[in-house]
Amino acid sequence: MEFRNYYDVLGVARDATAEEIKKAFRKLARKYHPDVSKEPDAEQRMKEVNEAYAVLSDPEKRAAYDQLAQGYRPGQEFRPPPGWDAGFEFSGGGFSPHETAEFSDFFAELFGGLGGRTRRSGGFHARGEDHHAKIYLDLEDAFRGATRQISLRAPRLDAQGHVVLETRTLNVKIPKGVREGQTIRLAGQGSPGIGGAPAGDLLLEVHFQPHPRFRVDGRDLHMTLPLAPWEAALGTVIPIELPEGGVKVRIPPGAQSGQQLRVRGKGIPAEPPGDLLLSLQVVLPPADTPRARELYETMARELAFDARAGR
Amino acid sequence: MSENEILIGTLLDESWLTLEQVAAACDVEADWLRSHLEAGLMPHAESVAGVWRLAEETLRRARRMRALERDFDAVPELAALVADLLEETERLRTRLRCLGEE
Repeated sequence: MEFRNYYDVLGVARDATAEEIKKAFRKLARKYHPDVSKEPDAEQRMKEVNEAYAVLSDPEKRAAYDQLAQGYRPGQEFRPPPGWDAGFEFSGGGFSPHETAEFSDFFAELFGGLGGRTRRSGGFHARGEDHHAKIYLDLEDAFRGATRQISLRAPRLDAQGHVVLETRTLNVKIPKGVREGQTIRLAGQGSPGIGGAPAGDLLLEVHFQPHPRFRVDGRDLHMTLPLAPWEAALGTVIPIELPEGGVKVRIPPGAQSGQQLRVRGKGIPAEPPGDLLLSLQVVLPPADTPRARELYETMARELAFDARAGR
Repeated sequence: MSENEILIGTLLDESWLTLEQVAAACDVEADWLRSHLEAGLMPHAESVAGVWRLAEETLRRARRMRALERDFDAVPELAALVADLLEETERLRTRLRCLGEE
């Protein structure tokens, strides 16, 4: 396990005041906020920043870390001596257990993943914490249903009542018809309860991997449908492969680029099912042969057509 | 549970959630959530005969607002405004993707 310099992560001096630490954290929280940041590794950096702030903003954790960190350099192999944290009482620091569970092994080794040891006496009953995770599915999974294997790091109480992080692998059945942004609840797969109380739940937020042909908006599937000029002008029937099965779509005569056709009930098979929305795009054949040029010249000569009429 | 056991999940949007369920799922105090609901800062929720029932979307909203309030010491109204803007941005990004613009 490598030593982590939390002061470097936040870009503050070792003697920084609490106000300076808070200011540095907010600046970085804004920079790496996963909802707005364009940085490619924003989510990972935000976790590192949260972890550093969880330690340096808590006077007890910071004092313990400072005492332990003397003589260590970032990246250096690190192992805390037994009993190093005697005399310190750590709090959660505003971060929930599922957030601290995503912090590094270095943090887990020092602060136990939940921000400290549980010191609950016998007779205490509490339902276990719910955990959150994201699951990335293929669009085809929503059409066929699937079983996906996911690995999660989650806090667990050991025999001594200490919190340790463990990696769990779960096989999860994905129901057919699942949509982007939905939450799948796995009852009893969160933290264990205390004193015989039930375990918490695991809540999986569903996201789809980008698909080469389809875009997803709720239940609906969107797709760009390229058409040859004669298909658009004269109308045609085009077979379209869907993630499950296929459909034949009638293109009405006189179709134009930018028009949208809705095929009801051919989106994600939810209840009710979504629609398939086809954005028409007329693609011109290149005039790169004498014959192709001749055909274009014939149209130019014989069709009374002004592309800019009415503009 | 064996490693090969297959877990069957339930989709949360098939039923309303209670205030206590959402508070537990988001690691927030029930009082924090109730005060935000009563202040009208959580859409996708309604009070029926004095009992709050919340849609699935509230889960993400509550976690997002809690993080904004904690990270930036934002007052609840500001956190709600930022959450509104982020949700609108997500809707627009989805539309852009569907139009093939992103």
